[in-house]
Amino acid sequence: MSRQMGDSHRRFLQTMMANGIIDEQGAKALYQHCCEVHSTQCAADRLDDFIEVINSKLQPMFMQIRKGMSEVTGYQHYALVNMAETDITRMSSDYADNELELFRKTMDLIVGSENGTASSTDILNSTDSMTTKKLKKSETEHLLSRFVQDNWLSEKRGEYTLSTRCIIEMEQYIRKMYPDQVKVCYICHNVAFQCQICEKPTCGIKIHNPCVARYFKGRPDPHCPACEEFWPHEIPEIRRPRSQSRR
Amino acid sequence: MLGAHVEVHPKKTHYKMKRARSGGDEDAPRQNGSAGRRTEDQHPGDAEGEGSDFGPADLQNNENDPSLRREIRSKYRELISSVQQNREDMLSPSNNKLTEVLEEANQLFKDVRQAREAALDAQLLVMATDLGKEKAGQLFSEGTAFDPAAFTEHLLSFMGINRLEEGDEEQQNGSTFGGYLPQDAWHRLSRRAECCFRTAPSFHYMMGSFHAEPPPPKQRIERQRKALTTEAKRTVPTQLKKMETSHQEATEKEVERILGCLKRYYEDDPASPISYFEFVIDPKSFARTVENIFHTSFLIRDDLARLYLNDEKLPCIAHVEEGEVEAEGSGRRKQCIMSLCEETWKEIIDAFDIQESMIPPPEVDDE
Amino acid sequence: MTQRNRLSHTQSASQSRRQPSTSAAQEEDDDTIFTQPSSTQVQKGLEKLTAAEVERKVAEVVQYFLVKDQKKVPVRRAELVKNVVKEYRNVYPEIIKRTARTLDQVFGLKLVEIDSKNHMYILVNNLEPADGASPINSPTSPKMGLLFVILSVVFMKGGVVRENLIWNTLKKLRVDPGEKHEEFGDVKRLVTDEFVRQRYLEYARIPHTEPIEHEFRWGQRADAEVSKAKILEFLGQLFEQEPQSWSQQYKEAHSSQASSSSQR
Repeated sequence: MSRQMGDSHRRFLQTMMANGIIDEQGAKALYQHCCEVHSTQCAADRLDDFIEVINSKLQPMFMQIRKGMSEVTGYQHYALVNMAETDITRMSSDYADNELELFRKTMDLIVGSENGTASSTDILNSTDSMTTKKLKKSETEHLLSRFVQDNWLSEKRGEYTLSTRCIIEMEQYIRKMYPDQVKVCYICHNVAFQCQICEKPTCGIKIHNPCVARYFKGRPDPHCPACEEFWPHEIPEIRRPRSQSRR
Repeated sequence: MLGAHVEVHPKKTHYKMKRARSGGDEDAPRQNGSAGRRTEDQHPGDAEGEGSDFGPADLQNNENDPSLRREIRSKYRELISSVQQNREDMLSPSNNKLTEVLEEANQLFKDVRQAREAALDAQLLVMATDLGKEKAGQLFSEGTAFDPAAFTEHLLSFMGINRLEEGDEEQQNGSTFGGYLPQDAWHRLSRRAECCFRTAPSFHYMMGSFHAEPPPPKQRIERQRKALTTEAKRTVPTQLKKMETSHQEATEKEVERILGCLKRYYEDDPASPISYFEFVIDPKSFARTVENIFHTSFLIRDDLARLYLNDEKLPCIAHVEEGEVEAEGSGRRKQCIMSLCEETWKEIIDAFDIQESMIPPPEVDDE
Repeated sequence: MTQRNRLSHTQSASQSRRQPSTSAAQEEDDDTIFTQPSSTQVQKGLEKLTAAEVERKVAEVVQYFLVKDQKKVPVRRAELVKNVVKEYRNVYPEIIKRTARTLDQVFGLKLVEIDSKNHMYILVNNLEPADGASPINSPTSPKMGLLFVILSVVFMKGGVVRENLIWNTLKKLRVDPGEKHEEFGDVKRLVTDEFVRQRYLEYARIPHTEPIEHEFRWGQRADAEVSKAKILEFLGQLFEQEPQSWSQQYKEAHSSQASSSSQR
């Protein structure tokens, strides 16, 4: 397990640092590229082993390359994450204190919502209750676009959701901080924000949209896997990875 | 280049080369030998000139006319600043702007009578000599000389400038500013230039950058702020009154100026607290620091700015917008006081690593 | 951006110094009193620590360097000792040696001491930029393009240039230091403050100029991080001429290239 790292591993890790998150296809291509640049052996199906070598060395620094699924596309992604909160990690300077407070307020709204979204209006209103230096409307809008650009939030028509990168890194944190609000997907057992919900009040299980697509594929008469109640939602198509899909 | 220029205008460009040159330049003797512009009346030692342009009466009038003196000085300053602004263009082998400047200086020098004017002339001379030296250096250095003007043209092409759609942009400094750059121009350049850099990628994360618990309410900060202000009230007013009457006007102007600075910093980035010390301290001058502190105190008194302590209990200053004044605070005058000795001042500069003053020193009006 | 720096700076300053009046002196003391322990002292110190303890400390220091590198501002030794190394200062040389090893072996980064007088460290990439295009387009900052322009002009003009040349060059590239730029914000601040703090540039007053003028030089980070040979190569493409035709610069680029690669 503790095989030594070579330059191909280091190049892979550096690209992860620069990007934060890469989808599976990209990661495979990157793996091949890194091996070619440093003329090392590359077995197409050994990506996870390759990453495991890196992770074993990252462990003392509480860092990890972690795999997770996009709630929108269902594609697997790899994200480089931080796993611990310490005096040192809190020295991070990407965002100011009040900006981080807004991020947490946004997360509160999204986690507390039924469908895993928060509208820009609700986020703007939440600045009223800030305890650090209040953000103005224009500042909040600018900050939200920075969160999207840095891949912590996603935005569609004024609705904000947690990005894949954010969910991969913060899943443990969210489970711990919002134990009463978090639900997991009945199919994949990961936390679920954007999903379909069983309409029977006593059941109310959640299933990610891509998990719905896979689970109900080829079943003309869908029923809830938990309570057998009719599944009234539209069943989405399974997305096929495009040849050039990059974040 | 200077040599070439001297040949064209042998009479007008004496310019006392021996003073600025360290010797060894083959042009120097010829220039010293060329006819000087200094007149006999002023410089009997340089008597090889062509005689005075002025009669004694003329001279008398000019020397005493303050407006003429001022005009000469201001023209010299203009000339000096234009040389500074267009230094690169003047160095370019393709023009003789340096000659033009020298000719202009010669004209001005005719009317130079006082030491202050002569000092400006000398300053211009030093700059011109410098330029001449550099221009000559370009001719002798091995290999191709690097032409920054050509560099920018190539860069603009690389960045994908669209020169076809020229708007009604003005011509500036002789170079056209027509055409516009595409949105991704600088990204395009960055991407290509990247391989020249061995920059370490950096690690970014969200988890762990903040406390897992929501922060406790911050009452203590309010309390401290109040304590500060009441103490201040007790001690300052007498001193203030004195200042108010004697230097009222100057003070008001300065307070306005500092308010302008604060507003600009605030508008640049309203999210970031502005450290009080970094704002008022001028690392180059203890006296100006004290002045800054004094003037800033008026902003606080007049509710145009507020002081508060951040999480680390360090004082921060924030611009207060109109209508933002808290109800409980309005109508109540506040004043802050702090003592600062030169030693503390130095310590703070070190501690905060203050490189330059956030409040630029006031412009000195020497007219 | 630069204001963010100001904030983070205030925070880090306060972390170590609660009361500015007494603590600045304390800080100085730290730097002067903190002399490298002798190898026997280190040996003794290590005997009292378990391997796991030392390893944990090294991991923390690595983490600290990574976090501090987010803004590309050099880490001062005094700051590092005070914030992280703490009670392990008697084995400091061993800690820093192992930190450098981890950064190199895990991340492919080189820990460089750029200022041996003030003891400041930066991280530089050990890996050459790959020749073949990477399948992943890592995000770039437009600031790098701006920095490239400035460094190129300084290098090509012999290592030091007056600020006016830089400002005029940028103006021609539609970047006016007096105006707020869409991508760079306050350009003057970015160039004379941020790039200077990061040690990409040196910005110093030219003595005896009135009004005051400044000049630019390469900073220590640029010396460690930027390849003059690669700059010449790119310029050769732009000007459509051989990099060798700038013979002085070419000579310099290839002698400094040799010395920096032999350091590895």
